[in-house]
Amino acid sequence: MYKWFLAWRYLNTKLIAFFGIASVMLCVAMVLVVLSVMGGFLDTVRARSRGLHSEIVVHCDSMQGFPYYEEFSERLRRELPEVVRITTPTIYTYGIFRVPTTNYTKPARVFGIRLSEYQQVNEFKKGLHYDKYFPGTTRLDPQQMPTLGVDPSGELALPPDLKAANEKWRSTETDRQELARFDAAPWAPVLLPDTQYPGNAERVFAASVSGPGYEGPPRDGIIVGCDMINYRRADGNFDRSLARGSDVALTLMPLSPAGNPTGEPPVRWPLRYADDSRTGIYEIDSLAVYVDFDALQAKLAMDAQALTDGGMSKPRVNQVLIGLQPGVDLDLSRERINRTWMEFYAGLLENQELTQTDFLSLKHVDVYTWEDMQRQFIQAVEKEKVLVTILFSLISMVAIVLIGCIFYMIVEKKIRDIGVLKAIGASPKGVAGMFIAYAAAVGVFGSVLGVAVGAMFVWNINDIQDLLARLNPQLRVWSPDVYSFDRIPEAVKTADAVWIGIVAIISSMVGSLIPAWIAARVWPVKALRYE
Amino acid sequence: MGQAFLRATNLHKSYGTGRAKVDVLRGASLDLSEAEFVVVMGSSGSGKSTLLHLLGALDTPDRGKVEFRGISVFDRSASQRERYRNHDVGFVFQFYHLLPELTVLENVVMPRMVGQSFVGWRRTAAAARRDAAELLERMGLSERSSHRPRELSGGEQQRVAIARALINRPALLLADEPTGNLDARIGNEILNLLSESNKSGQTIVMVTHDAKVASRAHRQMFLGEGMLRRGDRVTNQPAIADPVITKVGQ
Repeated sequence: MYKWFLAWRYLNTKLIAFFGIASVMLCVAMVLVVLSVMGGFLDTVRARSRGLHSEIVVHCDSMQGFPYYEEFSERLRRELPEVVRITTPTIYTYGIFRVPTTNYTKPARVFGIRLSEYQQVNEFKKGLHYDKYFPGTTRLDPQQMPTLGVDPSGELALPPDLKAANEKWRSTETDRQELARFDAAPWAPVLLPDTQYPGNAERVFAASVSGPGYEGPPRDGIIVGCDMINYRRADGNFDRSLARGSDVALTLMPLSPAGNPTGEPPVRWPLRYADDSRTGIYEIDSLAVYVDFDALQAKLAMDAQALTDGGMSKPRVNQVLIGLQPGVDLDLSRERINRTWMEFYAGLLENQELTQTDFLSLKHVDVYTWEDMQRQFIQAVEKEKVLVTILFSLISMVAIVLIGCIFYMIVEKKIRDIGVLKAIGASPKGVAGMFIAYAAAVGVFGSVLGVAVGAMFVWNINDIQDLLARLNPQLRVWSPDVYSFDRIPEAVKTADAVWIGIVAIISSMVGSLIPAWIAARVWPVKALRYE
Repeated sequence: MGQAFLRATNLHKSYGTGRAKVDVLRGASLDLSEAEFVVVMGSSGSGKSTLLHLLGALDTPDRGKVEFRGISVFDRSASQRERYRNHDVGFVFQFYHLLPELTVLENVVMPRMVGQSFVGWRRTAAAARRDAAELLERMGLSERSSHRPRELSGGEQQRVAIARALINRPALLLADEPTGNLDARIGNEILNLLSESNKSGQTIVMVTHDAKVASRAHRQMFLGEGMLRRGDRVTNQPAIADPVITKVGQ
């Protein structure tokens, strides 16, 4: 009993104990901050990765894609209705993105998608900008450019369908801040672009003298990655320079089914900027553009082509995205879909009509989960998290040494008391236990305070960074351009806090072992002469 | 030879090694009866404290043995010796040796706490505090129970130390120069307390180099050249067995 009693009393009365508590506190706070930020980073990467793809992806590694995707999709829907909710084909290729008004060009990764289906297999819809304020108005089919105009009362007005969509958003939006933000600059983020860009000033002038409506020839729509054309401010929001509906263009190079250039000149495809998309991953948002699947398939000659023998080739895609039924197991579903693919593939091989090119294309097809697709990226972050946590934990080992030093000093100062305790019957084990209990108490208080300080720091980490950045912009350590995400993750997991606290308590006790052992070996006769 | 209350036989103790070796005790022996008050005198460095430490099992002899109620102390296990120190022996030191972080009451209670587990203490804490309060009242320190040692005078601290030594009602009280650090008047008060305690049956061995202090005991022993010699009987105590003084070795 005396062990706990004296440990508690020493904790209350010995100033030196507070240095121990402070060192444990700082180490716990440091590891918690690092683990929380890295853990949050990893969780965000996983969540974003999850939202990028469908749950299951039937993927062809080769750019010219694979045939028979329609037959396979049909077979999946027929044979595995309890597993497969929806399938949608996609094409991806590379091209050159160009803004004609500025002659701005950029390499682009071009995705051909069926928008309504694509939005049902992943979280693409969440990242659309204009579709948020004007729900349902983002399309990829041929469209004109919407223009502002003056209504009969002399106020700036939108075309009626956009106005109705905007009203719909306003009636359902519960985020007051979001509404206030829109009302503060009703057109600026939506239709009225910065006038310093060529053509925009004329459009603003035109709006002031004509009624709202649509202008220009109908063109296929394109959704552009938000970092492709917009400037990202330090606060993570964007300055949009291009008006919705502006002319842009893609240049593409079709490949033959065998992967060779078709011999035709590259395809120039005029498009209208329909919306911009934000997945939250910079590497994607600075490179990706999305166009209509069927239009792209035709542009790339991946649709059914007439063959020299009079027949028709099979249309090709690069991926079939599969959305699963709610609640089904991901890995189990992948196995079942893979088995179905293998059976389907075997069936095709038995089909004597399979061409050599189709046969080779189908060899490159595999079935993946979304985790498989992003494994390299996720694993890199996972390893980074483990590495950083190990490094900071090693640094925290300093606390063990510090506790050892502090307790050695305490034992040296308490030699006489140790002698007295032994004279009144305390055992060496009891004396050692007293100092270990003392260290445990230091660990408990240090851990509790460290978790509190660390959690407060993490919860306010973005405000702290903003404050530092106001003092000196160089102190902004988390750049959205570098880290993909606008904000530093600020979630603290209870399990992390608990195990860090427990490790800190154990570490404190470990740090006190040598001093406790020294205390246990104190010779009472010598200690009592210690005056 | 009958069973003595406390019997030390042929105790040898040296410190240091080689040429630096000092033979402190060279065959000291002592028999002590229950309720006896014995003073061990000797010059500074003669080994008085060493003798006391051996009697209280704080140290182990190089040779010889100490028997308490017929059982050899040093043949006992470490935990039994710890229980002997906690339960059968009470120590009073020249420099009081109170624990500075504890209050007076907590200092007195500490030996009782040392002998208890966490659960055991929950059961007996109230009784221990009551006993400590009674002892402090006997020592005239009731008003000081919540004070820290540094707030007390030397005499008060020594009285607290005596209370601490008596809290477990030990059979044997070992006092090492208990008045050595006090002025004559306060020292006398401490001796009165020890005498009163002895009158109520407490066996006491006290070491001192002060002849006036020694005069308060039933008998005096002299420690010189590592051995104990009989001194004068100074009071007429009934039924006290003659001490057996032997010179062994050397």
